[in-house]
Amino acid sequence: MSHPLLTDVSRDPDPLDEGLARYEHAFRTQYRQWSEILQQNAERLRRGQYSLHWLDTDGASFGRRAKPSSRGLTYADVNAVKGYGDVPEVATWRNFTARGSVREPYRDAMPTIDDYTVTDRNELWAENVMSLYEEAKARQWNATRDIPWSELTPLPDDLEKATCQLCTFLTEVEFVAGDFPSKWMYRIPQDFLEVKSFLATQIMDEARHQEVFRKRAIAGGGLLHASPGFEWALKAILEAPSHTMGTFLLNLLGEGLVLSIFRSGEMIAKTHVDKEIFRRCLQDEARHVSYGVMELKWSLDHHPDRARALESMHTFADVGEQVILSAFTEAALVEPVAILLGGGLAKIDQGMEGMTKLWQMFIDEYLQRCERAGFPRRARCTIPLDIPWRVQ
Amino acid sequence: MTAAPAVVPLRRDGAAAVAFPSLAWFRHLADVMNANRARQEQLGYVDCVAQFTVTDGGLEGTPFAVQVTFEEFEALDVCVARPADDGRADFTLEGSLATWRAMIESIAAGGGRPDLEQTLNRLSHFGTPMRVVADDPLRRDLFFRYNQSLQEFVNAAATFTTRFGD
Repeated sequence: MSHPLLTDVSRDPDPLDEGLARYEHAFRTQYRQWSEILQQNAERLRRGQYSLHWLDTDGASFGRRAKPSSRGLTYADVNAVKGYGDVPEVATWRNFTARGSVREPYRDAMPTIDDYTVTDRNELWAENVMSLYEEAKARQWNATRDIPWSELTPLPDDLEKATCQLCTFLTEVEFVAGDFPSKWMYRIPQDFLEVKSFLATQIMDEARHQEVFRKRAIAGGGLLHASPGFEWALKAILEAPSHTMGTFLLNLLGEGLVLSIFRSGEMIAKTHVDKEIFRRCLQDEARHVSYGVMELKWSLDHHPDRARALESMHTFADVGEQVILSAFTEAALVEPVAILLGGGLAKIDQGMEGMTKLWQMFIDEYLQRCERAGFPRRARCTIPLDIPWRVQ
Repeated sequence: MTAAPAVVPLRRDGAAAVAFPSLAWFRHLADVMNANRARQEQLGYVDCVAQFTVTDGGLEGTPFAVQVTFEEFEALDVCVARPADDGRADFTLEGSLATWRAMIESIAAGGGRPDLEQTLNRLSHFGTPMRVVADDPLRRDLFFRYNQSLQEFVNAAATFTTRFGD
């Protein structure tokens, strides 16, 4: 009788081994170009010959030097140089080759990156994406160092729990806000490097937000309750069928709402520590909202069939708004915010009156942003314009 | 570990108090901002035209409004808003003289850090006692994108003495 442990191992092959076998098969038998290149290189080196073909500037924009502006050398500055700033409507280079480099002679020998699927500029471009990228880099901050953590003092129990619960919610939200751009970023080829760069800053921003709210909760008392309503809303964002649709749901609707929460957080903060946290975060969030508005606008403005694009967006928004609503009606969000707005558990009813104002303000701002993007949503909005709860 | 100082004091050395509201008062804020470039570089670019309106701060209770042009790390220009300047400002932050006064006194009392109830966002979030006005939601959002910088811009009021007209 064999040893049971050995028997189990033989029945359940290690997925890593299977993946490694597939990888080995692909690069040893399926893809042959790289080994031909290696062979040619080895022969040339054996002959002691130089190639120096890369010194040939035919087909290059070499010699047209980019000039820095007052802020340094921005993407806008290098894109002003002929040969570098032409962002194609459709990316045909599904690999890592740099836009503006000499790449045409090598096209047939290049690999294709199957994961580079976002090849339509209208699925990701925004008029303000380069300036937002510069602004994002310039306005980075550090959640470890820039928050006066040593000034954090204990709050009354109800207010501390409400703050910690709000931070728990925000920790969940900020996680998907980083995962959504991450999911799409690696699908974007080199020709849209400006968008890819901006998404990288958004991912960094969201990592910092997740970090700062986790730290705030644990420094003040601890993380409290997760909520299924939050999770379904976040899943709806992550699984949006296209980059534009998901960006609408995350950046325009979701982050627009979170921006309102951050502004409320700053308003109701009971310590300078919390003030600083929310003020820093709301700046980043407003940048993401701005990209969301202008990305949707570009997508609609450049769609060959605008009416069809609008109808698709409406259909998506009909679902998306409702799923987002599942998060923003959860007790684990509404009640702590109401307690903070009211000033304590005993004043939760007054706080709910504040929530009424917050709700109306958020819906109004959401609809204004939709209109700014050329997406008239007011008549079809499925989120109630008035609060969906009864104020006592 | 503490937050970076909001502003570096320039003068509290008996220099004449500056009247509020006035063009000179906002120019003092701009001077302080421009003298603290290192802090502005920490906070990042500010690119907007902000209008600050004291709704009853002009002659006989009429509005008094100043426009400040922020670019990169500086307040480039400070001027009194004229009717012809309509649309030039990205957003307007407006409040009554009493509201502005309470905020400025709180900033001074806190040595450049206002009381929790007296921050720009706190005062304007629900549209009262201050409000942020803009025709374009994207331009209004600049108030949020640069909120820390704008807060520190007004926090510089702690570096000089403000005189109110009563």
